[in-house]
Amino acid sequence: MIRAAGLGWVGGSFSQADVVTALVFHHMKHDPKNPQWADRDRLIVSKAHCCETVYAALGEAGYFSKQEFDNYGKLGALLQAHTERTAPGIEYSGGSLGQGLSFALGEALAARIGAPKDPSGRPIPHYRIFCILGDGELDEGQVWEAVMAAAHYKVDNLIAIVDHNKYQSSGKVIERINLTPLAEKWQAFGWDTMEIDGHDFNQILAALERADKTAGKPHVIIANTIKCKGVPSLENKNVHFCTLTDEMYQDAMKALA
Amino acid sequence: MKQSYIKEPLGEAKPMYNAYNEAMTELFQKNDRIVLLYGDFPRGAAGEMATKGYPDRVYDVGIAEANLITVAAGLAAADKIPFTHCHSIFAVGRGYNQIRQNVAFDKFNVKIVLCNTGMLWAFMGGSHQTIEEITALRVIPNLVLLSPADPAESKKVAQAALEHFGPVAIRLANPAVPTIYRDDYPYELGKAVTVTEGKDATIIATGIMVAEALKAHDMLAKEGINVRLLDMHTIKPLDETAVVRAGKDTGAIVTVEDTSILGGLGGAVAEVITENYPVPVKRVGIKDRFGQSGTVDELKEVYELSANHIVKAVKEVIKRKKK
Repeated sequence: MIRAAGLGWVGGSFSQADVVTALVFHHMKHDPKNPQWADRDRLIVSKAHCCETVYAALGEAGYFSKQEFDNYGKLGALLQAHTERTAPGIEYSGGSLGQGLSFALGEALAARIGAPKDPSGRPIPHYRIFCILGDGELDEGQVWEAVMAAAHYKVDNLIAIVDHNKYQSSGKVIERINLTPLAEKWQAFGWDTMEIDGHDFNQILAALERADKTAGKPHVIIANTIKCKGVPSLENKNVHFCTLTDEMYQDAMKALA
Repeated sequence: MKQSYIKEPLGEAKPMYNAYNEAMTELFQKNDRIVLLYGDFPRGAAGEMATKGYPDRVYDVGIAEANLITVAAGLAAADKIPFTHCHSIFAVGRGYNQIRQNVAFDKFNVKIVLCNTGMLWAFMGGSHQTIEEITALRVIPNLVLLSPADPAESKKVAQAALEHFGPVAIRLANPAVPTIYRDDYPYELGKAVTVTEGKDATIIATGIMVAEALKAHDMLAKEGINVRLLDMHTIKPLDETAVVRAGKDTGAIVTVEDTSILGGLGGAVAEVITENYPVPVKRVGIKDRFGQSGTVDELKEVYELSANHIVKAVKEVIKRKKK
């Protein structure tokens, strides 16, 4: 896809690839043949520029033809440079960072309306909302507006996953706005907080399962990841949005083979 | 000459928000997809009723307008019909990118109620007086912008917003305004209401300024000047047919709004008339300045929004008409 377009969001797409794979192929309840199924789980990718691995997963799952990959980012393409809802399986038109968690919260609240209730009066919604956020994106104030509101309304069908790859567009997160201590921040805001290795499938799936079992709070999984994971020559370099050179492409193909 | 559906005399002055709430209380109970959202905003009758009887369908997200607008988009994505409520200055000022990207971009069925809209939220001063909302919102594709003139029209607009599938913003001003219309007056989204008929010039007014323009009409009538007054309650999509017809029939136009004339209703009308049927136009509204505290009447004087100023503008465009 990125090879065909000539450029793309390399680093952040690769860092979240394992989380996306775990969600789409192992954890979420969804049906590629019926993308509008009312009770499906929703995946909101707030860091919507990192669309390539999302498109790859949805294409592989059968939401659209994999031939669409070759048109990515071209005029009239189904697959735009930031995710748009016009593509089957895409739930959120992003591009303006910091907004996806609010959108996910709206969907999570909607799922509770008219849902059956347990004996304590807690709604048991038919579906869950998963929201992938970037770490640089957490600079945006709106993220924390949503964090507070979700905790206030005890929205426990909302699962945020922070792709903590430690880099943002212009450099290291720690050198822009230091987020430390990140887990403690979410915890203090009233969220069920977990921290994992975002490239270890056992840890990813265990955290997602734990979220299902913890009631009364929204959940956050801080996934410690490596920018451009999977291509050793590019790992932990700030390959954010770039032209894919022949050398980079060859390295990537070799590493992934 | 006033149309038959204009109240004579006008009804007692009442706040538009109360009328909107009366309408919403009824709509909310009939349609279980409606969700009421507030940004630390006094709820009024509809919100109070919803809180007591339907706690799953009413949420206050606090002083967080960006979150308010995007949460609404998420609800709409799940087939709900959210109505957001907060002060206009913060919905438009703090939530602009959210209105554009999260709501309008995907044509979500979100209704954004802009409370205390325009310049005449008098006491609150310049920080709270929204002079830019028409200009800012009418350039956003897919968004419908409604600006009712009185309590009766505020009710019609609540219903019309619900019936229109897609994003709608609704301007509700703070000061009490007299009821202009009888209940059976002809309201249709996108079609200007003819308040008075006349041949010498046309006044195109919106929102709370329609009542002021009606005063100007009466003053002009006493001097033998007969103007058509159009209530442009739908700013977008603009009733271009009514604008061009006004140019052709009366040869001169004055626009009246309580927001900036730069790109506001005045700008919108000027765009249409210059391209289709150029006639003299004068724009009454805020002339590229911020507001300040005062009474409604004082601000109308200082910012040249009073009936006297409208009368003066009408006489000026009539003078400029081609002989």
